[in-house]
Amino acid sequence: MRAQFRSRIRAILLFVVLVAVLILVRLYFVQIVDGDDYALKADRQFSSGGSGLFDRGAIDFTRKDGTPIHAATLATGFLAAINPQILTDPETAYRAIRAAASSSPVLSRDAFLAAAEKKAQVYIEVAHRLSDEHGKALAAQNIPGVQVLRERWRYYPGASLAAQTIGIVSYGSGDVLVGQTGLEAAYDGALSRSGDALYKNFFAELFSNVGNLLVDAKDAREGDVVTTIEPEVQTRLENDLAKLTKRYASKESGGIIMDPATGAILALASYPSYDGNNRQDVAPSLLGNPLVEHVHEFGSIMKPLTMAAGLDAGVITPETTYNDTGCITVNTARICNWDGKPRGVIAMPEILLQSLNVGASWIATKLGQDAFREYFTALFGTKTGIDLPNEGRSLLSNLSKPQQVGYDTAAFGQGIAMTPMQMVRALGALANGGMMAEPHLVRAVRLNSGIERSIDWSRTTPVFSAAAVRETATMMTALMDQKLEGGKAMIPTMSVAVKTGTAQLTDGRGGYHTDRFFHSFVGFFPSYSPRFVILLYTNDPQGVEYASETLDTTFLDLVHFLIDYYQVPPDRGLATSTSSG
Amino acid sequence: MPSLRLPFSISSLCASAVAVLLVAYIGVIAVVMTYAALTVEFSQSVRNDEAAVAALESAYLADVARLTSTDYAAVGYAKPRATTFIRAQSSTALR
Repeated sequence: MRAQFRSRIRAILLFVVLVAVLILVRLYFVQIVDGDDYALKADRQFSSGGSGLFDRGAIDFTRKDGTPIHAATLATGFLAAINPQILTDPETAYRAIRAAASSSPVLSRDAFLAAAEKKAQVYIEVAHRLSDEHGKALAAQNIPGVQVLRERWRYYPGASLAAQTIGIVSYGSGDVLVGQTGLEAAYDGALSRSGDALYKNFFAELFSNVGNLLVDAKDAREGDVVTTIEPEVQTRLENDLAKLTKRYASKESGGIIMDPATGAILALASYPSYDGNNRQDVAPSLLGNPLVEHVHEFGSIMKPLTMAAGLDAGVITPETTYNDTGCITVNTARICNWDGKPRGVIAMPEILLQSLNVGASWIATKLGQDAFREYFTALFGTKTGIDLPNEGRSLLSNLSKPQQVGYDTAAFGQGIAMTPMQMVRALGALANGGMMAEPHLVRAVRLNSGIERSIDWSRTTPVFSAAAVRETATMMTALMDQKLEGGKAMIPTMSVAVKTGTAQLTDGRGGYHTDRFFHSFVGFFPSYSPRFVILLYTNDPQGVEYASETLDTTFLDLVHFLIDYYQVPPDRGLATSTSSG
Repeated sequence: MPSLRLPFSISSLCASAVAVLLVAYIGVIAVVMTYAALTVEFSQSVRNDEAAVAALESAYLADVARLTSTDYAAVGYAKPRATTFIRAQSSTALR
């Protein structure tokens, strides 16, 4: 009995050893001999569900009530492809595809027939972006040699809305669609997808990489981008800029609406722009964002900054007076008021109320070159750090030279240049107690898990004292109430601080045109606790000289719209006030 | 010395184990295939819904643009002759 038991045990052991050897041999073949083939096959199985289908995170506008509205998302439909080896009746196939792709990109008849003749090939795409309905109808026809496959593509529901800010995706140098401009480029890391997000093989992940399944680095990176842009405010700004540009046949116009306390940009637009869904004939120069890439000499909207610098440094007070002679000569250059007329002995507020170049130059001289350079370098010496690519640098070289004329002209916005984004950041300091906020377009990235990862934009740069900016705001508010449209623009229940600017355009030969101008306009409200700062400009308007003639209508429309839309409560006024319509 | 005898056959034990493993294997394959099918189906459903939402958003933004660009004078509305600003009244009589 014992011998019989031993023999059974040996038999089982032998069986187990044989099985083990067989498994080892099989593993050797699987892992070593045919390892590469199996790895390839496994890779294909693992990723085949999502391969070929474009995937990318969304970019959202944020309505005033916090509702997200897609600025960029994905559209789903079908593409049509042919297999020339199977296609027997190209004419019929073309007619069917043409009918299905009535409003979609499709090859021309000649190109289609030429493709059908390429019998060496088995797959040629002939039509893209077929709608769900048309794609399914085409597939139902079961035309031999015609394949109808799922396709996804980038889609911008707002078409041209904030197109230059949202940006585009394209192939660039590789064979993968990546963000090329705007937020698409700036947040490409968050928006791009590895392609398996929705098709993840849970069991393969479980057995092959438990660590990644639990804590995956890309889960902390990939998501949707949530912007601060308010779609209705953006629409209003774009509409107003288009009307302005057409009315005065300007070369271009632009505008920014920002919350000066946080730096959140509610609207950012320039005209002309383009339709993100139809870029066939778009000039490459339009694809960038002029508001962060181009620099301009802004003219007299610089004067409030000069005034605040003088007040902050203590070299002037609102009661300080000077003798305005109408024109002065500095380093052989002649600086004059806009009308060349002297004002005599006047106080500081008149410099802003009457936009006096001689007065601004006088403050610059009082400040001294070192102090002036220090203030303006703090305001414009660095990039804003806005979350858009290719931000331009300011041109402040005149402030590195010993000639006083460079400082005197900079005091009223000529001879130095900066981007509109730098300008609104600097002017935002006047609306934020003297602190410059960080302008930004994206407030958070909403991760695939649903968690919103907020982006910290809380850093502020102190430039002026609160007292200096309050006194400057008082002068700018008086300009709105007394001067703009002859005082008719005043809103009885809302204080609004404004300044217009008209700069001569450079002629490219070191001088300035005498009949071509750059108009700018800045304003913020309520004056002493601002919720909005608005910067507008129009470049080379025809038949008009001063910004107060071109931009006041646009500015006032935006102010009234924002007051109504956000229901901004009155900050002044009597129990009952009436203004003429 | 008493003989060592198990209360069951070794071969039947192995056969049972193989049978259980086979059933488990088939079960796992079924679960994986069902999971994969549902994943693809759900993901496509999500994409279709997103596309439908995008179409609605596009219509909304187009409406906003149309309303914004409407010339109210051209469609018969007159500008008010005067605007009166008044303090907001309490919404109830009890306050």
